Amino acid sequence: MPTIKLSNINKTFGHDLSKVHVLHDINFQANKGELILVLGPSGSGKSTFLTITGGLQTPSSGTVFLNDEPLNQLNKKALEQLRLNNIGFVLQSYNLLPYLTVKEQFELADRVKKTGNLTDGRFDDLINVLGIDDLMNKYPAELSGGQNQRVAIARALYTDPEIILADEPTAALDTARVDEVGQMLKSLAKDRNKAIVVVTHDLRLKNYADRIYNIIDGKMTQDTSNMH
Amino acid sequence: MFLAIKEIKHEKLRYGLIIGMIVLISYLIFILTSLALGLANSNTAAIKTWQAESIVLNKDANISLGQSLITKQQAKNIDLTKDQAYVGQSSVVAKSKGQDQISATYLGIDKNQYLYQDLKLTSGHKPTKSHQVVADEKFQQSGYKLGDQVSLNSISKKYTIVGFTKNAKLNVAPILYGRIIDWQAIKGMGPNLVASAVVSKTESTKISDANLKNYPIQSFIDKLPGYSAQNSTFTFMIAFLMIISLIVIAIFLYILTIQKIPNYAVLRAQGVPAKTLINTTISQSVILVLSGLIIGTLLTFLTAIVIPTSVPMSFNIPLLSLVAVGLLITSVLGALVPIKTILNVDPVDVIGG
Ligand SMILES: Nc1ncnc2c1ncn2[C@@H]1O[C@H](COP(=O)(O)OP(=O)(O)OP(=O)(O)O)[C@@H](O)[C@H]1O
Ligand SMILES: [Mg+2]
Repeated sequence: MPTIKLSNINKTFGHDLSKVHVLHDINFQANKGELILVLGPSGSGKSTFLTITGGLQTPSSGTVFLNDEPLNQLNKKALEQLRLNNIGFVLQSYNLLPYLTVKEQFELADRVKKTGNLTDGRFDDLINVLGIDDLMNKYPAELSGGQNQRVAIARALYTDPEIILADEPTAALDTARVDEVGQMLKSLAKDRNKAIVVVTHDLRLKNYADRIYNIIDGKMTQDTSNMH
Repeated sequence: MFLAIKEIKHEKLRYGLIIGMIVLISYLIFILTSLALGLANSNTAAIKTWQAESIVLNKDANISLGQSLITKQQAKNIDLTKDQAYVGQSSVVAKSKGQDQISATYLGIDKNQYLYQDLKLTSGHKPTKSHQVVADEKFQQSGYKLGDQVSLNSISKKYTIVGFTKNAKLNVAPILYGRIIDWQAIKGMGPNLVASAVVSKTESTKISDANLKNYPIQSFIDKLPGYSAQNSTFTFMIAFLMIISLIVIAIFLYILTIQKIPNYAVLRAQGVPAKTLINTTISQSVILVLSGLIIGTLLTFLTAIVIPTSVPMSFNIPLLSLVAVGLLITSVLGALVPIKTILNVDPVDVIGG
């Protein structure tokens, strides 16, 4: 049973003349213990794919299954619970609340999800690896783009979800940090048995992926050259 | 609550301005309410001190004390007990050397009846003789003093102020209480008259005269010249002000919410329950409105201290609290308007990429 399965997903925006077909018959799978990379150029439909996978928007046709459960059968509240408990999103932008310090972003997570979050020890490891341990009392506006992104990653991992969906998590990071983040995501998948999907055009992450999909103009193909 | 407070703390200027607006609105409403009440009070203050429930007037007087006269003949048909008292009314202009003229109402009262006996003074003594009066504090505030000789209209013999009393205002004019034996002379009518009216602490007075009629005191108050018109003008003003304030506050809270949609989108993507967002919105508006109301109340109290006594203002705490609670409730309702927008926030619209 794949943890994430998309079957024949299509997504169109608009009507008639202004209709754009963004995703074409996408079939996709991800399992626990895997780090999957979805590579594609700007405008290819990566973010659309990721938000449909996480239930943030609905496909025009086709079905998303998480642990064999079709998302289109869930009501708003159940989707909410799913995102709160099972999915960690790292979005392309706007991941943090501007009026909370870094520390308070995690405090908020504790307030809405009372159990199952990272223990203090594992949280300390996480923020050490991400190099954000000395940013705890800063507001997002006081952070650089890369720091913002690392905090967003930490925030997504903090609730210890089984599925992690990340959109361009390394866009603003230097190569050394990309290697660290890649390594961390990979070991998270392996050691903690999570299904991690990263959509990006950052080829530097290729080395860490278990499988790679390419997406071009909304059409997805599995890249077999990298299989090992 | 956590999010609500954190956000207000972080966006001090923005929320400060909104609190400032609520302060001004509540201040305006409080002051206007107090002014309206002050005016209403200066119409009826004396009647309140009489503790009257009803009044007997000439049935042809159109429920006006100034138009009503009771003759000796008619007076015989009134069953007076300790709960009834004669009032002889006359409009006068009071003047005294070196003082401003004051338009006042002379009320003659009988020293054996309750109005005289219950009269409470702030200084001096009650009229013990003819040509003595007790004056409303308005006279004192205008510079009149105990012992001052006052001429009423163009009557040559002067009256002496022997005492002062509070809340002696009828239809905005200050009252001079005197002995009813002086009243006929001031009114300038023949000796056949006893009084203008009989006020009663009971719901009605026994009368057996076709020319006299009992009126409940409220009917009498409603018929005071200008009283009902003033009241309805003020009531409508305040009501419109409240409605418009509600709309203004609601619009502000709506704009505030719209500006926060990217933040809400983040929270929705993280699976933060809709309940948390609604609680945040409501507690935020309660915090804003409450702080605004508290500061508005403090300003109102300050105003009450410094406002000149010539402006009739009356601060009725229960009424103002009611107004404040009304503002609070309507604002929370206003904050609920964008709830649907919050619940329908589509994270993708904002986050996209
Ligand atoms: N709500 C929408 N309405 C209309 N068109 C949309 C909408 N959202 C996305 N699109 C279109 O779908 C296409 C794919 O968008 P998407 O954001 O998924 O691309 P992307 O691969 O994430 O690009 P980038 O690398 O720049 O983030 C784009 O051409 C975009 O204009
Ligand atoms: Mg994108």
